Amino acid sequence: MSELINLSLTDQILGLTNKSFSSKEITEAYLNEIKKKKSLNCFISIFEEEAKKKALLADVNIAKNDARPLEGIPIAHKDIFCIKDKKTTCGSKMLSDFISPYSSEVFSKLDNAGAITIGKTNMDEFAMGSSNETSFYGNVLNPINEKLSPGGSSGGSAAAVRANLCSFATATDTGGSIRQPASFCGVTGIKPTYGRVSRWGMIAFASSLDQAGIIAKNAKDAAIALKYMSGYDQKDSTSLNEEVKDFQKEVDADQEHVIGIPKELIENIKNDQVRDSFRNAISILEKDGVKIEEINLPHIEYSLPAYYVIAPAECSANLARYDGIRFGHRSESISSLEDLYVNSRTEGFGREVKNRIFIGTFCLSAGYYDAFYNKALKIRNLIKSDFDEAFKKVSSIAMPTCSDSSFELGSISDPVEMYEQDIYTIPANLAGLPALSVPSGKADDMPIGLQLIGNYLDEGRILNLANKFQKLSDFHEFK
Amino acid sequence: MKITKQDLKNISLLSKIKIDEDTSSSLIKDLESILTMVNKMDELDTSKINPLTHPIENTQTLREDIEKKDIEREKLQKLSKEKDSGFYLTPKVIE
Repeated sequence: MSELINLSLTDQILGLTNKSFSSKEITEAYLNEIKKKKSLNCFISIFEEEAKKKALLADVNIAKNDARPLEGIPIAHKDIFCIKDKKTTCGSKMLSDFISPYSSEVFSKLDNAGAITIGKTNMDEFAMGSSNETSFYGNVLNPINEKLSPGGSSGGSAAAVRANLCSFATATDTGGSIRQPASFCGVTGIKPTYGRVSRWGMIAFASSLDQAGIIAKNAKDAAIALKYMSGYDQKDSTSLNEEVKDFQKEVDADQEHVIGIPKELIENIKNDQVRDSFRNAISILEKDGVKIEEINLPHIEYSLPAYYVIAPAECSANLARYDGIRFGHRSESISSLEDLYVNSRTEGFGREVKNRIFIGTFCLSAGYYDAFYNKALKIRNLIKSDFDEAFKKVSSIAMPTCSDSSFELGSISDPVEMYEQDIYTIPANLAGLPALSVPSGKADDMPIGLQLIGNYLDEGRILNLANKFQKLSDFHEFK
Repeated sequence: MKITKQDLKNISLLSKIKIDEDTSSSLIKDLESILTMVNKMDELDTSKINPLTHPIENTQTLREDIEKKDIEREKLQKLSKEKDSGFYLTPKVIE
C-alpha cells in the first residue's frame, strides 16, 4: 500500500470516504515509511501503537458513516505543541524529559477533527534557527539532497511532508520558520494572521510574533488543515474573535487578484535564478488574468535588524521561566539557589538559544532599552504602515520566500549570515500578516518558493492565489 | 558596536547563564556581529514614530472570572525533580 503515502490530504479524505482504503492501511504505510527513512531524523517521538489503535477506531467511524472531517488521516505535530501525557521537547535538552500535563489547542482541534497523530517532528531548539542544526536531537536531512539543510525551524515537519512520512504537519513561524523550510523542501506552508490560530500550549519563543500554521503538499490541502486549526480560543488572550471563513471553499472560488510587487526589492535579488524564477511565476499568473501593480515598501530593509532586537528581547523574557525548579532540566551540581538557576540554564540551553537570550537581555538592559528595543518597535510601526498603505491598492503581495535555495549542512557558522535566511519572511511576522510559500522553481537544482503575503484575516485569498498558481504549474509535484 | 568583558559579565548575571572564559571571545564576536547588523536601525529618524508592541490592535480579550479546577497541583508538581508535601524544593536560601 505504499502508493497511499504519495497521496495528497484531499485524495486521502476522498479515498477514506469512498472506502477505497482504510485508515489502518494509510497509518501503517506511513509508520513503515518512517522506519525506512529514520536516518532523515524527522521525528523526535513516534506513537506507533497508539496511532494503530486510533486508526482502527477511525475505520469503525467511517464504516458507520460517522466520520469527522479529518477522520483517520495521519498527521505529524511539530514538537513545540504540547500533547497531554506526551513528551514535548521543543528540540531542547531543557525539556528533554518534559511530559506535558495538558494539550495545545492546535493539537486538540485537529484531534477532535479526527486526525491521527503519528509523531512529533524535529525542530531547531525552541524554534530558534533556520537550518534545523540547533536541535538537541541532531539536524534533519533534506529528503531531496541529504547533504543539504531542510531549513528551519520547522525542518522536521517540512522534510516529513516532502519524504511522504505524512501528508500534512503542523508547524510554527516566528520569522519564517514555516515558509523557509517549505521553500527548501519544495512543499507548501502557510503562516496565518497573528491571532488566527491559538497559541495555547504552543511553547513560546517571541509571543508577539509566534504563529502556528501548516505544511502540506499543496495549497488545497493547507486550506483544509487550516480550516480545522483556526478559530477563537478563550485560553489565548491574543486570539482573534473573528469569524473563520471556509478556506476549503475559498481556495477553489473564482476570485479576482491584484498582486503588489515591491519593485526595488526584486531588482536587488542577488541570486539570478531566484529572480528569474520569481518573474516567471508572476508572468504565469499575469497570463491567467491576475493584475500586477508595483508597490513600495520603503522600510522593509529594516525588518531584519528590528526583528533581531524584538525577537531576542521577547525570547529572553519568555525563557526566563526555565529556572530548574518547577519543570525542565535541573542541574545536579548545585550548592545554592543561584547555582540551581545558573547551572540548570547553562546546561539546558544550546548555543543559539543562549546567543538570543544574551542579545535580548542586552537590548533590554538599563541604558540600552531606548536605543534598541524602543527603536525596533518604532521601526515595526513603519513596516506595518508600509503594508497598510500597499494593501490600499493590492489584494496580496508577492516576493521570493528566500534569497537562495537550501545550503549545505554545517556550511554557515556566522550567525548574521544565518539570520539573513529570513530576510524576506520576517516582514510578515512583524506586521502580523498571513503569508505562505509555494514551490515556484529551482536554483542550483533545489526548490525555491514564491511567497504570497495577504491582508489581515485574508488567508483565503492567498490560498486561492496559490491554488491558482498550482493549477497552472507543476513545481509543487514531487518528482 | 563593541562588547566589553564587563558587558558580558552583566549579561551573564542578568540572564543567569554562565559564560566560560574560553568561549567568551567567540561569543563577543557573535554578539558584536549581530549588534552591528542591528545598528542599521540608526539610519532611520524615528523621533516622531510611536512604538508598536503588538501587530494586532485589538485589546486583549478577557474571559469570565469563573473558578475552574482544570489545574491539578499534584499533576503539575510531578514535573519537578524536587518537591515535598506540595512544595517545590530549592537549596536553602536563609541560613
